[in-house]
Amino acid sequence: MRGFIGLTKRNLLLFFKDRQTIVFSLLTSIIMLFLYLLFLKGTFVDAVNGALKEYSGMASLIGKEEIDMFANLILLTGILGSAMITVPYNCLTTLVKDRENKVDYDILATPLKRGQIILSYFVSAAVASVILTGIILVIGLVAVGVQGNSCLDVIRIMKALGIVIIGSVSATAVFMIVILFFKSVSASGAFFGMLSAASGFVIGAYIPISQFSNAVQTVCNIFPASQVTIVLRNVLVDGLLEHMDESLGGVDQGMFTDSMRELFSFKARLFNGYFDVPHMMVYICAVMFVCVIAQIFLYSVTYKKA
Amino acid sequence: MNAITVKNLTKKYDGTIAVDQISFEVKEGEFFAFLGENGAGKSTTINILCTIFEKTAGEVRIFDYCLGENDDAIRKNIGIVFQNSVLDGKLTVKENLLTRASYYGMGKEEIMERMNPLMQSFELESIWNRKYEKLSGGQRRRVDITRALLHNPRILFLDEPTTGLDPLSRKMVWEYIDYLRREKRMTIFLTTHYMEEVRDADRVVILDKGHIVANDTPARLKNLYTGTKLIWYTDRCIDNETVMNGFDFDYEVDHYIMKFGSVQEADLIGFLYQNRDKITDFEIVKGSMDDVFLDLTGRRLGEQG
Repeated sequence: MRGFIGLTKRNLLLFFKDRQTIVFSLLTSIIMLFLYLLFLKGTFVDAVNGALKEYSGMASLIGKEEIDMFANLILLTGILGSAMITVPYNCLTTLVKDRENKVDYDILATPLKRGQIILSYFVSAAVASVILTGIILVIGLVAVGVQGNSCLDVIRIMKALGIVIIGSVSATAVFMIVILFFKSVSASGAFFGMLSAASGFVIGAYIPISQFSNAVQTVCNIFPASQVTIVLRNVLVDGLLEHMDESLGGVDQGMFTDSMRELFSFKARLFNGYFDVPHMMVYICAVMFVCVIAQIFLYSVTYKKA
Repeated sequence: MNAITVKNLTKKYDGTIAVDQISFEVKEGEFFAFLGENGAGKSTTINILCTIFEKTAGEVRIFDYCLGENDDAIRKNIGIVFQNSVLDGKLTVKENLLTRASYYGMGKEEIMERMNPLMQSFELESIWNRKYEKLSGGQRRRVDITRALLHNPRILFLDEPTTGLDPLSRKMVWEYIDYLRREKRMTIFLTTHYMEEVRDADRVVILDKGHIVANDTPARLKNLYTGTKLIWYTDRCIDNETVMNGFDFDYEVDHYIMKFGSVQEADLIGFLYQNRDKITDFEIVKGSMDDVFLDLTGRRLGEQG
């Protein structure tokens, strides 16, 4: 156990001592924030206003502050969702670096069990992701709290933290399988570039997934990361939507908030059906479990050279 | 007792035979050297013995432990100084060594108990909190050797430990290795392509293209495969060359080099006595390990085969 903790600590030290790696891990989230300030917020706000205009006389019942808060929370879920993809992947590249620089020889020649070695890379990447996304969550909640009433109580915040933990662990489990096939840092770096560019779209951070065709929605939602973002959206934004519903006083029979949930994908469309939060949680945990088992098997098979 | 026993060890990569049915033994406390060019199979053999690579065929025992069956026990008994540094550049010397010690299941107290004498022996106090990437080549090698000794191994594998080091750092590394041999009676398994480094070895194995071409003490290898050279400082002239009739000789700058094969060595004293009036300025030089390698492989180390 000491060896496992030692290797995990070493992987975490390597990640957190390299500021450049941290910045690049969060690059997609940073770009997302800039895009939000430039035009994404306007798009989100326009979408809400457009839905409100469909019900005459309701626009006056929902304040500008609430609409801004809605857009802010949608942004926060996007930032967290993309960070939960890029941070664990970047931390896992330590494994590829170790292979390329033959540092793994030094680890393989110690009494550490093969399962312990692979799990230590897994745990360190998941912990790094929980720490960084946890910090982003706290900063984000403080930032939206300063802007006005986010309708987030302690239970919802704790739930969000739980989703951040599950999201980080599940993304790490999936990427572990991917990373085991990379033998050079340049190849894994190229994949990271692609991943950074695609992640924002796959989780629906730039454009809600509901705007895509059924086939594209299904492809996006197959990835646990998309479903994690949707669950997070439910946890962080639902309170505000309930508050908006109360403000409308039932004049629309809940149709406005339903349309918002549909437009901003509060359920995951898979083929012709929908996954709601409990289904998504089961799906995420199942994928995570299968990937953890698969990574131990794959590493045990591939660790010996030739 | 044998520290290492290797029988018919073979390693194949994608159809290429890197190591071909090699057999050798290393006694406990012995300084054993593996000599050969790059690509001869030295590092592959070390990596198999250290449980990093899987063997294709053959039998390996480290003390009483069988490779492939008791790998964990083997790992506890070996320390390795790799050809290229395997410590983390971004971490300090302290962080590197403490994390590596934990891989062997050592607790904090046990680590410090083990670390303190090593810190003194390898003069690590002044670089303890410096990042590994900021150290000089010699300092890095000192840390590498310390890392290999953290868990008090019985065998120390050194895979070309002085490659790329300046002469002063090489000397320093060899002083440490000598200390381990003499004071700690540690079994040392060295791979190198520097001839002078195997001079003091108890046993030398010469590996060429995956095969063992020689396995003996340096002195016996020299006796078997090289002769003695008589260097006679004199002018080049017919008269002098008549004296050397029947012997293999050559002239270089200001001296003749006469080669006495191992069989002819007995003639050397007689030859000198016979020509004592003529040969007044001379020296006798034993063949080097370089000559042994040349004789066995047809190449000097560093030449492409």
